[in-house]
Amino acid sequence: MIPAAWICLFSPLAAALVITLWGTRLSRRGAGYIATLSVGVSFVAALVTFALLLGDKPDDRSHYSTAWRWLTAGSFHAGLRILVDPLSVFMMLIVAGVGCLIVAYSIGYMDGDDEERRYFAYMALFVFSMLLLVQSGNLLLLLAGWGLVGLSSYLLIGHWHERPTAVAAAKKAFVMNAFGDATMALALFLLIQRTGSLDFEVVFPAAGSFGGWAANLVALGLLGGAVAKSAQLPLQTWLPDAMEGPTPVSALIHAATMVTAGVYLIVRTHALFEAAPRVLELSAGLGALTLLLAGLIALVQVDIKRVIAYSTMSQIGYMFLAAGIGAYANAMFHLMTHAFFKALLFMAAGIVIHALAAEQDMRKMGGLRSFLPWTYVAFGVGALSLAGIPPFSGFFSKDSILAAALANNGWYGDLLWVAGLIGTFLTGLYTFRMLFMVFWGEPSAFVREHFHPLERDVPGLALGVPVAVLAVLSAVGGFLQFAGVWTPVSNWLEPVAPSLVDASGVQEAVSSVLGVLLGAAGIGVAWWIYAARRASAPRTLPVLVHKFYFDELYDALFYRPAVWLAHALLRWIEQPLVFGSLREIADGVRGLGTETRRIQTGLVRTYVLAIAASLAVVMVVFVVVR
Amino acid sequence: MILAASEAGNVLVWIVWIFAAFACLGSGIAVVSFSNPFYSALSLIGNLASLAVLYLLLSAEFVAAAQVLVYAGAVMVMFLFVIAYLGGRADAPWAGGPSWQALGAIAASSALFVEVIVVIGLKTSGRLSHEAEVDSFFGRPSQIGQLFLTDHLLAFEITSIVLLVAAVGGVILGSHSRAAGVETE
Amino acid sequence: MMGPDVVWYLCVSAFLFCTGALGVLIRRSPLIVLLSLEIMLNGANLALIAFSRYHGNGDGQIFALAVMAVAAAEVVVGLGLIVAMARRRLDLDVDRLRTLRG
Repeated sequence: MIPAAWICLFSPLAAALVITLWGTRLSRRGAGYIATLSVGVSFVAALVTFALLLGDKPDDRSHYSTAWRWLTAGSFHAGLRILVDPLSVFMMLIVAGVGCLIVAYSIGYMDGDDEERRYFAYMALFVFSMLLLVQSGNLLLLLAGWGLVGLSSYLLIGHWHERPTAVAAAKKAFVMNAFGDATMALALFLLIQRTGSLDFEVVFPAAGSFGGWAANLVALGLLGGAVAKSAQLPLQTWLPDAMEGPTPVSALIHAATMVTAGVYLIVRTHALFEAAPRVLELSAGLGALTLLLAGLIALVQVDIKRVIAYSTMSQIGYMFLAAGIGAYANAMFHLMTHAFFKALLFMAAGIVIHALAAEQDMRKMGGLRSFLPWTYVAFGVGALSLAGIPPFSGFFSKDSILAAALANNGWYGDLLWVAGLIGTFLTGLYTFRMLFMVFWGEPSAFVREHFHPLERDVPGLALGVPVAVLAVLSAVGGFLQFAGVWTPVSNWLEPVAPSLVDASGVQEAVSSVLGVLLGAAGIGVAWWIYAARRASAPRTLPVLVHKFYFDELYDALFYRPAVWLAHALLRWIEQPLVFGSLREIADGVRGLGTETRRIQTGLVRTYVLAIAASLAVVMVVFVVVR
Repeated sequence: MILAASEAGNVLVWIVWIFAAFACLGSGIAVVSFSNPFYSALSLIGNLASLAVLYLLLSAEFVAAAQVLVYAGAVMVMFLFVIAYLGGRADAPWAGGPSWQALGAIAASSALFVEVIVVIGLKTSGRLSHEAEVDSFFGRPSQIGQLFLTDHLLAFEITSIVLLVAAVGGVILGSHSRAAGVETE
Repeated sequence: MMGPDVVWYLCVSAFLFCTGALGVLIRRSPLIVLLSLEIMLNGANLALIAFSRYHGNGDGQIFALAVMAVAAAEVVVGLGLIVAMARRRLDLDVDRLRTLRG
C-alpha cells in the first residue's frame, strides 16, 4: 500500500523530468503520451492503494510513511512524509483519475501547438503538486504542495505567453494566491510555536488547548489560504481571468482539482477549525455569499468559459458552505461529482471552441446542436448535473448539502439554506442560458462560416473519449451516495472527518424537492428567454457586468497605492539618496581628479623644481628634528 | 704622490686648492650661463679638469686619472659630437625677464646651498677636522682594484651590466629604422 | 693632511651641486640640462672622495667610480634621445615637449 502511494506521488514528477530533459528530441505527441501514461500509472497506483486500504479495519486506516527527515531546526522536525488514509485516497483517486482523462484530452486539444512539450511537462508537474498536497502527512509538505500548485497554475495560465492578457492573468492568479500562502504560513508559525511540530497527529489533538485568540488566528490563516486558492470571496477575482489559459488547464486546475484544494484543507484540518467555531461559521458564510455572487455574475457573461468559471466559483461556495457547517463528507462528495461534471463541461466547451477556431463568444454561436450532436449530449448531461436534476450526480451531492444546512440549528443554518436554494435557481438559469445560446436556435452566420468538424484521428479521439467517459461518470456518479439510505462516502470518510450535522429524512426530502423545483424553474426561465424567445433578456445591470466592482476596488485599494508608493520612493528616496549619492561620489572623484590634473603640466622643469623644493624642505625638517 | 709635510708644501697646497676650487666654481657657473651649448661643454671640460686636481689633493689618484680619461676624454667628446651634429642650437635662458619658474629655481637651489653650509658648519663643528692618516697605498690603482674585486665585487659586476644596458639602449635609439616620418607635436 | 680641511671640499661640492640644480631648473635646451646634470654628479663625486679621504677608507672612491660609470651610461641614453628627437624634427625645448600633460 505504501509503495503504491509513493509511486502514485512520484510518477507524474518522473514524467515531467523526462519530458524536460529529453527536450526537443521527444516528439510533441510523445510528450503527451508520456504525461498521460504517468498520470494513468498514478491512477492505477491510487486504485491499488484504495483496494488495499479497504482491507483494513475502518478505525485503523491511517498510515504514515516518512521517506527521510527533511528539516530539523532545534526541536522542530519535519519529514518528507505521506499519509494514506481515507481522505487522502479519496482525493488521490479524483485527482489522478480526472487528471488522466484531462491530460489525455489535451493530446487532442493542444495538437499542433508550438510548445506542446512544455505544456505537458507543466501538466505533469501540476498533477504531482496536487498529489503532494493531498498526500502530505504534515502541514509543511502540504504548504509545499500548495505553493507548487500555485506555481503550476501560474505557468499554465500563462502558457501562451505572447498574449499580454494571459501574462497579466497569470500574475494576478499568482499574487492573490501568494496572499493566501502568506496567511497560511503565519498560521503554521503559530502552530509551531504552540505545539512544536507540524505533524497531523500532534497538531490536531492539541487544537483544543490553544485558547481563544490563537485558535482563531490559526483558523483564520488557514481560511485565508483556502479562500485564495479556491477563489472565494473576497479573493475571487483571479479565477475568471485564469480562463486565458488553455481549456484543459481550466478543466483540470480551475475546476476539478486545484480550486478544490481549499475545501480539502478545511476538511483535513477540521480539528483546528472546530476549535475556532466563529471562523468555521465565517467560512460557511463566505461560501454562501460567493455562491450567490458568482451565480449573479454568471448571468451576464458572454464568454462560454467564463460562465463555467463562475459556476465553479459558485459550486465551491457550496462546498465551503458544507464544510463550514461541519458536513465534511457532503462537501467531499460534492467535490467529487463537481470534478466530474465541471471537467465535462469545460472539455465539451473546449470541443466547441476548437471546432469554431478558438472563438469563445457565445453571442456568435448558435445552433450547434446539429453540428456537434454528441458534444451536445455530453454538454447536456453536464448541465443537468450542474443544475441538480435527478438522476444525475449533481442532484445527490448538492441536495445533501442543502439538507445539512437545514439541519444546522438556528437562524444561521436557515439563512444558509435559503441562500443555497436561491443559488440552485440561479445555477439552473445561467447553465441553461449557456446551453440554449450555444446549441439551440438557428446556426449563426459565424458558425456556418467557421465550423470545422472533428477528424477521426488520434487528436479527435483524444478529444472525444475522455468527454464520453466523464459524461458517463456525471450521469451515474451520484449513485455513490444517497442521503439517508446508502452512504458509503460518508462511512468511508467518517474516521477522518466525522460529520457535525446529521440531516433527518424529512429535511433531506424537503431540500431535495425544493432544490429540484427551483432548478427546473431556472431552466424554464432560461428556455422562455433564450430558446423560445418569448421574452427578451432583461437589461444587464452594470454592477453585474463589472462583477460587483471587485476588480476596481482592489485596483483602488491595493494597486494604485502600491504604484504611487513605488513612484514616491523612486523620486524621493532612490533618486536623490541612492542614485544621487553615487553620482555625488563619482562627481566628487572626477572633480578631485580634474584639480589634481593641473599638477601635470607636462614640463619636466616643473617636476624637477618640485623635487628640489621638497628636498630643501625635507632637509630642513631633518636637521631640525635631529 | 705624498707631499712633504713642510710649511712650504702646505702653502703650495693651499694655493693650488684655491685656484682649482675657483676654477671649478667659475666653470660651473659658466656651464649654466652660456647660451651657446658649445661653450657650455667646453666649460664643463674645464670643470672636470679642476675637479681632477682637487681629487689629486685628496690623494685619490686613480679616480683623478679616471675622471680625466673617462669623463673628459670620452663623455665630453660624445657631448661635443652631438653638439656638432645638432648645430649648436642656442637658446636664450635669460630673455624675457625672470619667470616664476626661474625665481623658484633660484630660491630652491640657494636654499639647498645654505642648508648644506649650515649643516656642515653647525652640526659637524670640529668633528670634521681630524682626518685619518693614510699610507701610500691609499688611492693607488692596486687598492682600487683590490677593493673592486673583493669587497665590492657586486657593485663592479652591476656597473658593467649597467654599461651594457646603456650600450644596447644607445644602439636602439640610434637605429635608422625609427626615423620614419615627421612627428608633429 | 696638508691644505684645507675636508670641510672646504664639501663646500665646493655643495656649490657645484646647487649650481647644477639651478641649471637643470632654468635652462630649456635638453643638452644644457644634461650638462648641468653632469655638474651635479660631479659635485656628489667630490663629496664622496672627500669623505673617503677623511675616513681613510677606499670605499668612497669605489662609489665615485661607480657613479662615473653610471653617469656615462646615462649620458649615452640621454644623448641618444636628443639625437632621436632632432631626427624627428622635434623642437629641442623642454618647455615645448609637454605631450604628457594631464
